[in-house]
Amino acid sequence: MKKHQTIFVLVLWGTLALWAWVVPSRQISEAERRPLAQKPAFSVQTLLSGKFREDFESYSLDQFPLRQSFRSVKSLFHTGVLGQKDNNGIYLTNGTAVKQEYPLNRDSVNHALGRFQWIYDQYLQEDRCFYAIVPDKGYYLAEESGHLAMDYDALYVQVAAGLPWAEEIDLRPALTGQDYYRTDTHWRQEALIPAATALCKGLGVTAPKAEDYRRTPVDRPFYGVYYGQAALPMEPDTLYLMENDTLSQCTVFDYETGKTGSVYDMTKLDSRDLYDVYLSGAKALLTIENPNAGTERELVIFRDSFGSSIAPLLLTDYAKVTLVDIRYVQPELLEQYLDFHGQDVLFLYSTLVLSSSAALK
Amino acid sequence: MIFSSIPFLYYFLPAVLAVYFLTPRRGKNAVLLLASLAFYGWGEPKLLLLMVFTIAVFYLCGLAIGRSEAHKKAWLLLSVAVGVGLLGLFKYADFFLTSVNAVTGLRLPLLKLALPVGISFYTFQCLSYTVDVYRGTVPPQKNLIAFGAYVALFPQLIAGPIVRYSDVAKELDGRIHSWENVGLGLRRFVIGLGKKVILADNLAMLVKLCRDSGSPSVAFAWLYAIAFTLNIYFDFSGYSDMAIGLGRIFGFHFPENFDYPYLSKSVTEFWRRWHKSLGSWFRDYVYIPMGGNRVSKAKWVRNILIVWMLTGLWHGAAWNFVLWGLMFAALLLMEKALPGLQKLPSAVRHGYVLLAVILSFVLFNAESLPQAGSDFAALFGCAGLPLFTKETGYYLRSYAPLLVLSCLGATPLVKTAAQKLGATRAGSLLEPVFWLGLLLICTAYLVDGSFSPFLYFRF
Repeated sequence: MKKHQTIFVLVLWGTLALWAWVVPSRQISEAERRPLAQKPAFSVQTLLSGKFREDFESYSLDQFPLRQSFRSVKSLFHTGVLGQKDNNGIYLTNGTAVKQEYPLNRDSVNHALGRFQWIYDQYLQEDRCFYAIVPDKGYYLAEESGHLAMDYDALYVQVAAGLPWAEEIDLRPALTGQDYYRTDTHWRQEALIPAATALCKGLGVTAPKAEDYRRTPVDRPFYGVYYGQAALPMEPDTLYLMENDTLSQCTVFDYETGKTGSVYDMTKLDSRDLYDVYLSGAKALLTIENPNAGTERELVIFRDSFGSSIAPLLLTDYAKVTLVDIRYVQPELLEQYLDFHGQDVLFLYSTLVLSSSAALK
Repeated sequence: MIFSSIPFLYYFLPAVLAVYFLTPRRGKNAVLLLASLAFYGWGEPKLLLLMVFTIAVFYLCGLAIGRSEAHKKAWLLLSVAVGVGLLGLFKYADFFLTSVNAVTGLRLPLLKLALPVGISFYTFQCLSYTVDVYRGTVPPQKNLIAFGAYVALFPQLIAGPIVRYSDVAKELDGRIHSWENVGLGLRRFVIGLGKKVILADNLAMLVKLCRDSGSPSVAFAWLYAIAFTLNIYFDFSGYSDMAIGLGRIFGFHFPENFDYPYLSKSVTEFWRRWHKSLGSWFRDYVYIPMGGNRVSKAKWVRNILIVWMLTGLWHGAAWNFVLWGLMFAALLLMEKALPGLQKLPSAVRHGYVLLAVILSFVLFNAESLPQAGSDFAALFGCAGLPLFTKETGYYLRSYAPLLVLSCLGATPLVKTAAQKLGATRAGSLLEPVFWLGLLLICTAYLVDGSFSPFLYFRF
């Protein structure tokens, strides 16, 4: 390189370095939905122990100027130039981001089944029990796009063998790959009438009808969890709320806060994860009371986050629906809050949680 | 600290370059020494004491060898004892104790000392210094700061190339700083960074995927072996490029360490092209002092076996490394015994070397001898694995462009094409944009957090 060319490279390199030195620290990464590492405090002790080095390296990565743009450059280079079929385990197919869930973690499924068995043995001997597995979108999209996916058949067989006391409700025929957000893991509530119908039929209650709901779009773009993880160019999703008078009259009691709210928590429209608008997001224990229910029946759903958006569609006949997320509450504590007395009980878990179930308490 | 990291590229290096070039000539070695100690201490602050001790011992021994004709051998032996002793203590003691325990059934406690990063590299550099002073090849360095800067010089401190004192003695006392050196060094550094971050680290991901696969196959085993062979080349040669480039920026001319080794048509040629600074070190400081090939055939074979066993041991304190070295000794002896091999068609000789090297790296990368055994069984269809699985096909398709790019990058084709392009007017104008673009792409990979430590750090 000639002198002026060398100076050109050095000046731009130096400018970026200087920027890295002086850029003010950001607290969170909206795209990745996580707090960012902050500048570590220096001390001789942290230096000698290596903690300062580790923390500074995390800080320098998290606070690097134009970090999100650099991550996008990497993703585009990785997939476009190096031809990698996925980036950080996430791939795009027809504009939809999919996490490559591979291989099936049988030990994790067994852990989940063990927890469900404990709940059954402890609380549910007198209840009608059902289970439904929510396939992740890889179930529909992996094979046709030439990607790897877990052995779903083996998962279904393993779960069926592990829950002989529960009746299976198969959701697979009621869903398609288009029923999930393009940028997120979750399914779209406005596409769940067939799945809710399958559940209601299995439970023996009245199924929802599409014409009974108004599809109300949320006026904020929804950037799902894969948007930040993949750092690939994607259009945001639109989140819809399925509304009607019955749902607007329902009340939701949160056992953690002791507060009563509504099915759709509009305060979550300002949160990082727009999906939290459905039943306020991650909650250990909720009860939905439906004053307009067709019967006095009650339903208990042991669930993960997929349950938040479909539960409102199961309310037609149920006077009371209780949602339990054992990622946030020990099953051993449930007897302090709930009275199991012959309700319908549904275990509704996604393949994502079953194959990565360490969080189940 | 590693070169392919944000703290090095955007904090440490810019700061050091700024201070270094703003410092008057007489203070530049001091800046290099302090920067190098900071660089080393960043990763292992406690082991700075070992580094300072090593510098002090070899500095004093060098001075003593130069001053005292009568006792110079004693001083040389002292320096060798200290260097080899520290290396033995930190790197080989537990290997020795484990082996003794295994053979005798004893339960001697292990020392479990942390391996100081780069100890094999800087110890060999120090040994070459006192030996060369003893031989009268170079005068002793009287300036402690200059000597300390040589031993601790951060561009090549922890993963080579092994720079002998004689290579840089003159430049330690006075070197030329020029825009030409900075430009050439910068370019070489970015080439090495690209090799490491874009090629080696992605190949390392493939190696890991192959290793962790729940659905192994014979094809996957070969994919693993080939990926690791390319991975270690780009990892190590990338580091050497960065070291040589950084040295050039500071006005040093470090020796080349690689010369397209995978083009070799004999194992002898391979070792003239692979890790050249290590091969020449063993030749000059072990093989030739033992008599080299100017001895009886039996002693010559003994010399070859010793040198290659030591070469294996230098890479790691484990039996698979010893076997790895001895495997090359056997191949080299075979090539000497069968000169007719040279008359085989070029493609056959090239294929033989590639196969030998790929298999050698399977042994090299095994965590134990039993694992090496199961790896070889997988490669040759003796492990009861299917020939091919869906997973193999997926990763083969996903990594095919990277593997092709890596194979091309292991030949001079890319360099030749770049030189031709650079000779055109447009190429010349766009050259800085290309290097800057490559730097930014590497930065993007690092910011995304997908980096891995250098393989040769553990040596």
